Amino acid sequence: MVKDFMEYLTDQVEAGKNDIARLEADGRKDDADFAKVRNNIYDVCRTVTKALVDRPGAGSEAVRAQLERFNREWNAALEQAREHDDIRNTVIGEIKLDALKDVIAHFPEEEK
Amino acid sequence: MTQENALKIFKSLSDMSRLRIVQSLTQGDMYTELLAERLELTPSTVSFHMKKLEEAGLVVSRKEQYYTVYSLNRKLLEASLFEVASSEAEQIDEQQKREEVYRQKVINSFFKYGKLQSIPVQRKKKLICYEVIAENFTLGKVYSEKDLDEIILRIHDDYCTIRRDMIGEGILRRNGNKYVRLR
Repeated sequence: MVKDFMEYLTDQVEAGKNDIARLEADGRKDDADFAKVRNNIYDVCRTVTKALVDRPGAGSEAVRAQLERFNREWNAALEQAREHDDIRNTVIGEIKLDALKDVIAHFPEEEK
Repeated sequence: MTQENALKIFKSLSDMSRLRIVQSLTQGDMYTELLAERLELTPSTVSFHMKKLEEAGLVVSRKEQYYTVYSLNRKLLEASLFEVASSEAEQIDEQQKREEVYRQKVINSFFKYGKLQSIPVQRKKKLICYEVIAENFTLGKVYSEKDLDEIILRIHDDYCTIRRDMIGEGILRRNGNKYVRLR
């Protein structure tokens, strides 16, 4: 199941690269930068999963815990950005959490 | 118009999403959510682009009930490209400009949302940070130690070090338990 999850993350990273290239070709540099942020989340989650899933004493439980930690920390950062009317970091925070929500939704059910 | 303003205009328009926003606004004033729907962007992404357009003076915003409505600054958009491109350079001393850029870079690195993340080791940087903290005090006003510490504490936990350093740097003067900002 984790293997499928890893494949899903890899597919998202590859699809993201195409999105970035398309946006850059369209002359939408800022939107392309935001797409890079989103792509980076899938890449980070893939790295974390790869590192934790086979580590003795870690496994899928540790992956889930890390994803939840990201969720808490990024929510707090987004809240802070909104409080301070920091538009750039608000957009980045929303993109990160949206991608993370998608990652968590695809985390294998029996692994949750 | 200065060359800096002209550069902001060209930079903000050299993005297809922002160009499409400007194009949409030629049809009439619009609010964020409507623009987001039309351009298939999230509302916060539209807000991000609007901020850039506003900074360049290309759009203006107004509040209408719960919405922020944007409209074009037609006067600026009707200016000829020749007028914009022939704007003059602002007469700013180059050294002064470099120092201001450096100061802003230090502030951006060490402060986040008004909080000092860590006290810089390098004196030059430390001084810049303390000058920013000093802006929280009114020049010439007398502060009790408690009031002073409370203000510094809102910016960084180590209020003792900061208070002591600010006195040492001649930013604050101590007289018994009373403090005054000197510069």
